[in-house]
Amino acid sequence: MAQAGAPKPPRVLVAPSNPAWCPIKKPLSRSRVALLSSAALRLADQRPFIPREDLTYRLVPSDPLAGEIVIDHHSGIGRVPRQDPEIVFPRSALAALANRGVIGALAPFHVSFMGGLRCHKEIESEIAPAIAGDLKGAEVDVALLVPY
Amino acid sequence: MIGTALDIMSKVAPPRGAFVDHPVGRTFGPPYDRARNDAVLVKALAELSRFTRSGEIRDLHCEWQAGGNRAWEDELRAEMLHDR
Repeated sequence: MAQAGAPKPPRVLVAPSNPAWCPIKKPLSRSRVALLSSAALRLADQRPFIPREDLTYRLVPSDPLAGEIVIDHHSGIGRVPRQDPEIVFPRSALAALANRGVIGALAPFHVSFMGGLRCHKEIESEIAPAIAGDLKGAEVDVALLVPY
Repeated sequence: MIGTALDIMSKVAPPRGAFVDHPVGRTFGPPYDRARNDAVLVKALAELSRFTRSGEIRDLHCEWQAGGNRAWEDELRAEMLHDR
């Protein structure tokens, strides 16, 4: 049985202070698509995430052949996704949709960060704008967030 | 957002929410089931243009097990307790 450590602060779910809405401007078949994952995942040779309050993020190459995915998130659900990260981060399925023309193109990278953070203010004022800036710089039209 | 936790999705109100009724941590299906990965992703993308307002959540009507069998909920709870 796991040893009980110091009690965690209670998890609080927070909705964004400004609800977001961005109209769809292009058909999917002409859109560049990226995945966003809160699984704290990365390529094996990228810098590891440090649970629990890591406020950094990784740009993960969208090419499914770029390398093995490692999941650093501390959640108890991790054993099965670690066997096959595609079930939470469908990098191959999205690449296949690009090949079939269902989506216009893959973004050059996907994005991952640590889910379950309690620093809501920093997420909204620092991490989210930085990620949005990277996606905008890569001319991404659609970002699909897959919570872990 | 493509998620499995409807309660959390409802609370955080993503701009566009696609609910997948799968076990948490298996959003796109069981391990190594590439057809299922593809099917869930295609369903989610097909909903994109149908959202009309921020905070809307649309059910993708994905079943983990045929016939609506929900035995997986108890199995998942046991797994999470075991792995904790």
